[in-house]
Amino acid sequence: MSVDTLSSGRTRRGFRDLPVPLVVIALAAFIYVTAALATGQANQISLTGLSGLLQRTVALGLVGLGQTFAILVGSIDLSVAALISTVAVLASYLMQGDAGMIVPAILACLVLALVVGVINGGLVACWGINPLIATLSTGLILQGALAAGFTYLGGRVAPEFQALAYQAPFGVPLPVLLLAVLAIVAWFVLAKTRFGAHLYAVGGNPDGAKLAGLRVERFVLAAHVIASLGACVAGLYLAARLQSGTPWIGRDGVYDLESIAIVVIGGTALSGGKGGVLGTLAGVLLFASLDASFNMFGVDAFLKQVLRGAIVIAAVAVYAVRNKGHVA
Amino acid sequence: MTAVLEMRGIGKAFNAVAALDAVDFDCRAGEVHVICGENGAGKSTLMKVLGGSYRPDAGEVLLDGKSVRFLHPREARAAGISIVHQELSLLPFRTVAENIFTGMEPTRWGLLDRPRMQDRARALLQRLGSAIRPDALVADLSIAEQQLVEIAKAMLVDAKVLVMDEPTAALDDRDARSLLDLVLRMKAEGVAIIYISHRMPEVMAIADRVTVLKDGRRVWTRDRADVTVNAIVTAMVGRELQDFYPARSPTAPGSPVLEVRGGGNAQLRDIDFVARAGEIVGVAGLEDSRKSVLAQALFGDAPFTAGQVRIDGQPARLRSPREAAAVGIGYLPGDRKREGIAPRQSVRDNALLTLQAMAPVLSSPQGGARSRPEVDQSLNDMDVRAGDFGQEIATLSGGNQQKAIIARWLMQEPRVFVFVEPTRGIDVAAKAAIYETMRALANSGRAIVMVSSDLPEIIGVSDRILVMHQGRIAGELPAGAEEGAVMRLALGVAAATVAGEMAS
Repeated sequence: MSVDTLSSGRTRRGFRDLPVPLVVIALAAFIYVTAALATGQANQISLTGLSGLLQRTVALGLVGLGQTFAILVGSIDLSVAALISTVAVLASYLMQGDAGMIVPAILACLVLALVVGVINGGLVACWGINPLIATLSTGLILQGALAAGFTYLGGRVAPEFQALAYQAPFGVPLPVLLLAVLAIVAWFVLAKTRFGAHLYAVGGNPDGAKLAGLRVERFVLAAHVIASLGACVAGLYLAARLQSGTPWIGRDGVYDLESIAIVVIGGTALSGGKGGVLGTLAGVLLFASLDASFNMFGVDAFLKQVLRGAIVIAAVAVYAVRNKGHVA
Repeated sequence: MTAVLEMRGIGKAFNAVAALDAVDFDCRAGEVHVICGENGAGKSTLMKVLGGSYRPDAGEVLLDGKSVRFLHPREARAAGISIVHQELSLLPFRTVAENIFTGMEPTRWGLLDRPRMQDRARALLQRLGSAIRPDALVADLSIAEQQLVEIAKAMLVDAKVLVMDEPTAALDDRDARSLLDLVLRMKAEGVAIIYISHRMPEVMAIADRVTVLKDGRRVWTRDRADVTVNAIVTAMVGRELQDFYPARSPTAPGSPVLEVRGGGNAQLRDIDFVARAGEIVGVAGLEDSRKSVLAQALFGDAPFTAGQVRIDGQPARLRSPREAAAVGIGYLPGDRKREGIAPRQSVRDNALLTLQAMAPVLSSPQGGARSRPEVDQSLNDMDVRAGDFGQEIATLSGGNQQKAIIARWLMQEPRVFVFVEPTRGIDVAAKAAIYETMRALANSGRAIVMVSSDLPEIIGVSDRILVMHQGRIAGELPAGAEEGAVMRLALGVAAATVAGEMAS
């Protein structure tokens, strides 16, 4: 690479210039439309069909938004699945079908998520514990406490709360709107605020960020709190959707690993400092289209898992090629 | 002119090892003050104290005559101390403007003010004489341009004191020269510049004053006019350069220990040479001369496919490192971190590595009959300096790691030592210790083959010099040969042509 072409700024880099989210969304659309046409279920490409598809993205999307923050600062959160279960169980236990308890239950869940996030962030940022180990452990502790405390299904959410998950103003399901709003907020924070810029700096080069005068630990901590809050909202959504929380709801959904997978598919670097929430949304959309297509084809779930794994590997390989030649 | 910055009696110790000991330092506005010192002399530690990364154990820092105490780099930065770091601290996937403003982004109504970032970044880069676009990705810039961005980042706050830690280390000559112009321009603007460098021509070109640090102490501070390159080097090393290499053995070399006849493989041809007991044979050559392949061939890593090797007169087969070690060849690899040490294992375990590797599979992990005191004795004989031989070897200095690797082989009692780039990345004082060790090994009746790219080292240490060119031995020179003679052989220029050119 010669200096002349570079000093003129960004050079054409062929396919490296295509934004990742667009490519992934196009791929998702291609898979979905092909499946619908091939199986003669063209009705899936209607407003109803599509809103059904989007509905599938909500839970994983909410977790993924939070996970994006954790990964952007160079950390990771494996405790989200356990937190989702805990929140779902806690919400239904506190509500016991009583509409008056909706707000207190939500508040309690948010406080719990805050505490878990602070603990995760504290372990990682202040004590310097490897994030895989730290968050795996907090997740195990949550899961264990859950198993010990709720051997039977304790309660159900209020019907009014449950209704929220099924409302669809203007034909768009309310949970999809919620995901959209939170995604826009997350994008705004990352792209437009100082806080966001600092998260990128901390993830991209922690030593450099410290020397630039940033208090690195605070940003890692904040990112973990955001990751936990994302899991909390996902847990509340699942509780509403399913009437009551079960202690294995998070684990069965594999929300910990799948949230990491969609973040990576979306082009966010596991090493931190690169990526964003648009990619994560594209990633979750790809997974949802895949699920829907397999349902249309009526293929069994094991093959679906194989294909998901293959897509993650392919995505990482493609990004590795794209980044070749970069000094990082 | 009064000093903008004054550091008085700075002391800093890590685990009871003094990194800085009562260092005085000052820098005036509009001055370039160069700090010289070998690796580990305390230059970077001193700058980290100044930059707020370390808190000093003793002494005080005065800025404009007022005592300051920084608890975090941000405080030093806010006080007008900017540091251009040796390792680039940039974010490759962010734009130039985003990088320059890291940590000090301008905001408008709480939001990032990107237009203002772009404008100010452009203005800053122009002031530095560069046309880099503020919206370019850092990953797309050359190293020289990244260095400029790093400087722009440091200049963002109105720096009173600008510290540059080996800024030209990664630059080629042309870029280095324009960087020096830039330094002079900032000096003219009245910035106090602290400049750390190893490159003597550069130091002599831009310094107003020079301070030499050695072992955490200040040796002296002098005006440019009173300084010579030789004086700086002498102060850094603490001895005259001619005393640097150990005296050659007074006795003539003994019988041949290693003989190679007609050795060759895919990359080597017609290798014929002898190394005698008590002799250090230097192997010189340029990067593409395949001199390191010769070392690998001797150690069975890239075995000879033709020719004969004899050790102490007995034919030897060297088809793998294991066979080579078994017949009495010891090997000190060139890439110490990758091939030499097991970084997370203890010094003692590293010293035992070869013994353990050569011992029967089911023998005790302590390396058969070797007891711990014996290992420690061997390490002590090599003068390996470690607080405790149980500590991780990665915590030792390069020189001590090198000595531990030699100790590993000593217990195997090899007849021949192959040293590859034995002093690469080792500071000057440790180099001298390694040379002395090599000489002592030779004097004890072993043959040493030293492959090195460091020409003064080849000439200063070797008893004979083999010069390689394109996979063959181009010629042999006696001890103390001229650098020019070695270089001519290495370049493959026949002696006759050179003589002819000189005559014409």
